[in-house]
Amino acid sequence: MSDHGIGAGRYVGQAVQRKEDPRLLTGHGRYVDDVTVPRMLHAAFVRSDLAAATIRSIDVSEALALDGVVAVLTGHDLNGIAGSMQPSMNVENSPFPCAPLRPLAVTDVRFVGDPVALVVAESRAVAEDAAELVFVDYEPTPAVATIEAALADGAPLVHPEFGTNVPVDFPMPADPEVEALFASAAHVVEHRIVQHRYNPVPMEPRGVIAGYDNVTGELDVWLSTQGPHEARLTFSRLTGVPEQHVRVRMGDVGGGFGQKFFTGHDEQVVVLAAKHLGRAIKWIEDRRENLLAATHSRSDLADVALALDADGRILAAKFDHVEDAGAFPVGGLGGVGPFVSMLFPGPYRIPKIWWRSRIVCTNTCGRGAYRGPWMFETTAREEILDVAARAVGIDPREIRRINVVADDDQPYNTATGMMFERVTPATTLEHATQVIDYDGFRATQAAAFAEGRLLGIGIGLYIEPTSSPAGSLGVEAAKVRLEPGGSVTVFLGTAAHGQSIETTMAQVVAEHLGVPYEQVAVIQGDTDRTPFGGGTGGSRTAVIAGNATRLAAQRVREKVVEVAAHLLEAAPEDLEVADGRVAVRGTPSRAVTLAEVATAVHNVGGVAVDVPRVLEATGRYETQGMTWSNACHVCTVEVDRVTGQVTIGRYVVSEDCGRMINPMVVEGQVQGGVAQGVGGVLYEHFVYDDDGNPLTTTFLDYLLPTAVEVPRVEIDHVVTDGGNPSGVKGMGEGGAIGSVPAVFNAVADALSLVGATVLDQPLTPLRVVEALEAAGA
Amino acid sequence: MSEHDVRLTVNGARQRGRVESRTNLADFLREDLGLTGTHLACEHGVCGACTVLVDGRAVRACLMLAVQADGTEVTTVEGIAAPDGTLSPVQQAFMECHGLQCGFCTPGFVVTVTAFLEANPDPTEAEIREGIAGNLCRCTGYQGIVEAVKLAATRLREGVDA
Amino acid sequence: MKAAPFDHHAPESVADAAALLAEHGDEAKVLAGGQSLLPMLAMRLTRFEHLVDVSRVPELHGITTDGDLRIGASTPQAVAEHDPVVADAVPLVARAIPHIGHFQIRNRGTVGGSIAHADPASELPAVALALDAVLEVAGATGTREIAATDFFEGTWSTALADDEILTGVRFPVWTGRQGAAVREVARRSGDFAIAGVAAAVELDAADRVARVAVGLFGVASTPVRASATEAALTGASVAEATAALADAALAAADGFDAVDDLHATGAYRRRVTTHLVQTALTAAIQEASGVRA
Repeated sequence: MSDHGIGAGRYVGQAVQRKEDPRLLTGHGRYVDDVTVPRMLHAAFVRSDLAAATIRSIDVSEALALDGVVAVLTGHDLNGIAGSMQPSMNVENSPFPCAPLRPLAVTDVRFVGDPVALVVAESRAVAEDAAELVFVDYEPTPAVATIEAALADGAPLVHPEFGTNVPVDFPMPADPEVEALFASAAHVVEHRIVQHRYNPVPMEPRGVIAGYDNVTGELDVWLSTQGPHEARLTFSRLTGVPEQHVRVRMGDVGGGFGQKFFTGHDEQVVVLAAKHLGRAIKWIEDRRENLLAATHSRSDLADVALALDADGRILAAKFDHVEDAGAFPVGGLGGVGPFVSMLFPGPYRIPKIWWRSRIVCTNTCGRGAYRGPWMFETTAREEILDVAARAVGIDPREIRRINVVADDDQPYNTATGMMFERVTPATTLEHATQVIDYDGFRATQAAAFAEGRLLGIGIGLYIEPTSSPAGSLGVEAAKVRLEPGGSVTVFLGTAAHGQSIETTMAQVVAEHLGVPYEQVAVIQGDTDRTPFGGGTGGSRTAVIAGNATRLAAQRVREKVVEVAAHLLEAAPEDLEVADGRVAVRGTPSRAVTLAEVATAVHNVGGVAVDVPRVLEATGRYETQGMTWSNACHVCTVEVDRVTGQVTIGRYVVSEDCGRMINPMVVEGQVQGGVAQGVGGVLYEHFVYDDDGNPLTTTFLDYLLPTAVEVPRVEIDHVVTDGGNPSGVKGMGEGGAIGSVPAVFNAVADALSLVGATVLDQPLTPLRVVEALEAAGA
Repeated sequence: MSEHDVRLTVNGARQRGRVESRTNLADFLREDLGLTGTHLACEHGVCGACTVLVDGRAVRACLMLAVQADGTEVTTVEGIAAPDGTLSPVQQAFMECHGLQCGFCTPGFVVTVTAFLEANPDPTEAEIREGIAGNLCRCTGYQGIVEAVKLAATRLREGVDA
Repeated sequence: MKAAPFDHHAPESVADAAALLAEHGDEAKVLAGGQSLLPMLAMRLTRFEHLVDVSRVPELHGITTDGDLRIGASTPQAVAEHDPVVADAVPLVARAIPHIGHFQIRNRGTVGGSIAHADPASELPAVALALDAVLEVAGATGTREIAATDFFEGTWSTALADDEILTGVRFPVWTGRQGAAVREVARRSGDFAIAGVAAAVELDAADRVARVAVGLFGVASTPVRASATEAALTGASVAEATAALADAALAAADGFDAVDDLHATGAYRRRVTTHLVQTALTAAIQEASGVRA
């Protein structure tokens, strides 16, 4: 099934230079904080410093009296005029209960960072000065900061409106067959696997500039976002301004990783305040706010069990999963709930499974999407597999070989109802372990251990769901226009924030329209100029927007050929388009340029009256079910026995994302994702104390990995057709998925040499030392 | 809350301004001079996005007051390319090696690497990684950046030899 | 994240700076390189009405050797780091500075600022303590000298009075064969140390340890001098010292009240300190005795 022979085109498949780069390298990008609008005011939030409390009173008088302060808004001003704050997918037919969102806390606060007031002033500095003068009288109440505390009997309720801290509890019915398999299995392994809280942390924090004109009724918004069209819908529902009078623009966006996919709570408050005051307001989130109150991610645990036969073949599994939604999750309940369980089998044949999925609320920052929001399934599965391998007494690679879904097993239906096809987990497992010289490493590891050193190797194998057919996220439109001078413009509803879409979609158009790459420009991020679209996230752009763009380019090409046929007095089927010229096949001197075609169309008498004089077309593509990509990550580590520090040695990824539009971009996505997984396992941890007080709200405490900590990633490509017209698969999230168990398992492998075990992340030096000490090593 | 007149040279042009004591150099460059290429990503001196050259030395513009820059020569990312827009060897190498994705940390890296290679024209990979460890990037995994520094170093050395 | 308002003062002399401090009392703070103070102000974790900026006071700059190595307080760390006079006279100073933050920080951060800020996780306070440095201080009423032993009173707290400025640091210059090493464990490159050791060893003509200096940082509420370790090795031959290292290193870990924080426990700090003292001293002894590692 695997086809390595899918050839690259003239542009598609080439590592062309990015169109984005010259402006970004010279300081000529335009991010939201770089935009200034007339009479713009600046905002700062007053946020709760308690995890749970009732509000007795809010005194804004001193703040209002400060020079330069224009308004100090509380929930009394804004909550009554606010429409729904929920994302479109939850406004109707939400599958889950939605958190009781309100612009500003009036009666009580529910996490540290919960906004209580918004100060609007002539500068950000003055707004911060005034925010210190807003006095909120709180009566502290008990808080629940962890999943365990939220689940305890008699726990205080985060949202009394729900009547429970567990708004979603979705258990499969008890399955006697599963129980029987566990009862008779040669090996049973069972562990609680915990993934700690860590966050997207885009380098550009969130930001918005909102202006409302009382006369025209126009709401004009600049936003750092992954989805301007969704933001427009949200702001329209929020403010009551009809959607055609709401314009949302984004310039360059400094990363999102899911955090900016849905429209954030605080941005909505600023938009509402602008509408209320009739003034333009800029709010640029600072780093402390971003860490404290934007969105948090991961924070999952599961009791996982595997039943295996004597050879290590998996017979059945149990997966009892709990996801921490925090207090006010962004985008429904912030996580993906039962989808995690449905993906738990991953690339392995697991005949029977029982699962339960719970979402709990805690008095912490709300959960939001982060690069592979469902990825705990991979963490839990890959980590328990290594535990199982050690229990059975076989190598972690071997247990994967025994159980992996082979190419000729496909299409393969999992016990949870997923249907996999066109995936190559077995191939990537072999490739990745060959590239890293798995067997050679085992010998090196043994030799090093003889000298007392602890080396380890770990594998993370997974299948990645991309371009999900979920509501409006499964469809995308692209408009391609041949301009009068012969250049080409592409209008997309996507919202690039690092994904190189201006480059890759220009490659697609250049390829399929037959124009030089340099002549194609991509426009996105302006709701007045671009077709409605779901934004950029969920590894959906290459598949959905890419196929829409391809279709639109082909349609424009057909129109160009139709006009050119008249100009050249040739049959359309005899014409070819390349390098911006339409020529008669075999007679290259009989040709017209695209500029000549455009001139003919746009001028009186240019072509015969019965020729359609339209040089633009829209392509729309609806994904045909999930597109699955897959990869295998393998890495080696050394654990310092004294300090507990982990150093990564080699890091190899073998991945299959179908036909690549731009391999340079693909590799950059993999490398960046791996860095985030490495950060998550070894360095990044958003910590609360038991009372819900955050301890890591600066970059001195929340540790992003630097160039010293992140390894070089060696990448092997396996190319299997994606099963759509352009043959691509999504791949933006996988790097952050496979890396987590690969690094974790490598450390666990090293520690197993001395009988030490770790089950929780992050693997801080302290935790590693404690594991070594517990094992007497 | 005192205010001060400051005079300085930025990217070769003389500038003057009046600033509050508390205004840091980054905010002054961005808001008073409109040089928005200098980015603020943490405002507490960890991420390096706001790195500029002051009298030729790379510093964090969020950790220097505008008033402290009085009388200095400042180079921002806007002053790295040639006046006609031709990219510097460092910028060109970042483009060729995919050393940037979202671009937000990029100005700080470009300025940092420009200063780093001046001090250490022939660095090892370990020295490169150490040299850029004061700048955080969330997109690239640093691999393209490290490659870019190597490429720029080679070209700059060849340029000197030629 | 903007600092609360303050007034910036740029005195041109130490006397003027001291006068400003005397005038404004505890509402004033000395601003040197600002690499620690400005973030704390931006985060509004501390605030002062007046900042007395000594970063450009000419008499606070400069590096001289006149028996001792003297570094003016406002000398940027990067200048001291790359000055061959420093590396030659007191190698431990030159080897400690590259561990401070990142190079952009060292371009602004000053030698005196680091010492006067007295962060227990900083390198230079531990170096000053271990080497018996003398801290030169000026106030409105005159100047005085404070031995490093008497200078560090607590986290971010020193023997400096509100109206006093650190003007310079004098490090004794060792003339015998010597070795110096700095070893630390930090979560990431450039981070404050969870535990760190600055160590120097001087051998006499008979190859015995004439002097040994061991400073610990990142482990307690102040920098710590590992006096027991030093005592155990002083006077020993290279061979004896090498043999005694493991026990001497253990003694170092017992000599302080270890702190617990987000990144490590006190027990972890003791464990790692023992290891770091041993590796740093091994390197220093080898260097002093001409052994190439």
